[in-house]
Amino acid sequence: MLRIVKALLRVSLMTAMQYRSNFLLNGITGVFGALGTIAPLYLVFRQTDAIGDWKLPEAALVMSLFLVLQAFHGGIMEPNLGAVVEQVRLGSFDLVLLKPADTQILVSLSRVDPAHLWDLVIAVLLGGWAIWSLEASPSPLDVLVAVALLGAGLAAMYGIWIFAICASFFFVQVDNLRYLLMSVSETGRWPVTVFAGWVRIVLTILVPVGIITTFPAMAIRGTWTLDTLALAVVTAAAFLIAARLAWWRSLAAYTSASS
Amino acid sequence: MIGAMLRATPTLVRVGFARTIAYRAEMTIWILTALMPLVMLALWNAVAKDSPVAGYNQVELTRYFTAALIVRQMTGSWIVWMLNWEIRSGQLSPQLLRPVPLLWNDAIWTLSAIPLRVIVLTPLVAALVWWRPDLVAFPGWPAVGLFFVSVFAAWMIHFVFQCIIGMLAFWLDQTDGLFGVWFTLYSLLSGYVAPLETFPVPVQHVIRFLPFRGMMATPVSILGGFVSPADALPDVGIQLAWVATMLVIARFVWRRGLARYGAFGA
Repeated sequence: MLRIVKALLRVSLMTAMQYRSNFLLNGITGVFGALGTIAPLYLVFRQTDAIGDWKLPEAALVMSLFLVLQAFHGGIMEPNLGAVVEQVRLGSFDLVLLKPADTQILVSLSRVDPAHLWDLVIAVLLGGWAIWSLEASPSPLDVLVAVALLGAGLAAMYGIWIFAICASFFFVQVDNLRYLLMSVSETGRWPVTVFAGWVRIVLTILVPVGIITTFPAMAIRGTWTLDTLALAVVTAAAFLIAARLAWWRSLAAYTSASS
Repeated sequence: MIGAMLRATPTLVRVGFARTIAYRAEMTIWILTALMPLVMLALWNAVAKDSPVAGYNQVELTRYFTAALIVRQMTGSWIVWMLNWEIRSGQLSPQLLRPVPLLWNDAIWTLSAIPLRVIVLTPLVAALVWWRPDLVAFPGWPAVGLFFVSVFAAWMIHFVFQCIIGMLAFWLDQTDGLFGVWFTLYSLLSGYVAPLETFPVPVQHVIRFLPFRGMMATPVSILGGFVSPADALPDVGIQLAWVATMLVIARFVWRRGLARYGAFGA
């Protein structure tokens, strides 16, 4: 399975790089997009010292985790959802189904957009600066918990994207769904505590944006609890299992272009 | 040509409206993607808890971002993706044979989506008013009149600039990245993510003469009553100057691009 993942990544990277001028142009616009994402931090902290109890380094940490999420969305999930929608519409999805490998892996990694690597580079720089300027440096355990929370959050998010891909078997036109997912995740730029009670619950459990950005940042600050960790792991497991079930159901219900 | 355009317009409006209704689910999702003002409202609202931000208290911030939500909906368009796709896939050719100019057709279609946008927007605005009734403040009839001029100019800047970027597909493989750069600049410099008063004063002077402010902050401050209609007149003038500039550039790019498109043998 790992071999397939590696091969898929290599091919999709090569596909992305074959239009060279376009690849370079996207690289430049990618840096710009990442910098534009973090610019509002400057505007907010010109006006205030803290949003609630989140000071600049802490809010910057949330923002850098948001960039990781953005890289995951824009770099992997969004291009693939676009690809599946097109294949279902044109009928060439049948060819994917015939391949002797797990189709869920095939549709998850058939395309990547390397321009979003810039999001990761800027995320590391910003996150590094943020951790360096925190008053108390995090313990190794805190960092470990933060990584686990981020992983759980991304896994849950992946489940949601698989739901969206499943939806494309039933309603052909779901292109817009990816824009909606991207726009809901915009909320992850800021600590989830700025939102009112019920929005916060939606952003933690229904769309796990809070788990990806706010929870790991809290872990780095050393304010995580076993409850949050358990909540994140359960949410991730629930989304992954539900996504797998939905995937099987939808494949069974899929009537190709010819039948 | 002008005669044909005007004669075709009522039909185009009907067709555009029917297309909007036919794809109502897609359109509704599309409309809901522009909810960034609500996120930013939540954030700024938290920042302004103890003291006003750049002269805006919590109620005024709510009014600002409610107006931003409305202006964003009224000025949205998707022509950049349409043009990009039509040029790359060759779908442009049959479009060019029609007696009505392509962009006129698309402009009418974009505007025909406004009724559906109002329907989706109404409950959102109602919820905001229910949350904070003080945000409702009538700016006066002159302001309302000027707002319509200003918001139309804002729509024009959006639409014509999207056309320009879309037309670059005559030369480039993909224009999405360039549009991304433009959208990033727009988000920051138009007042979409923060009132422009949050910028340092020297930067505000520069922003005033860029096209972005006229795409959001100018109509928002007129509708929100943050500026009197008389004081807003110079800003509306700047908007109209940008509309004219964009139209000239678009015309130039369209002619050069079509000549090049023809050269492919299409």
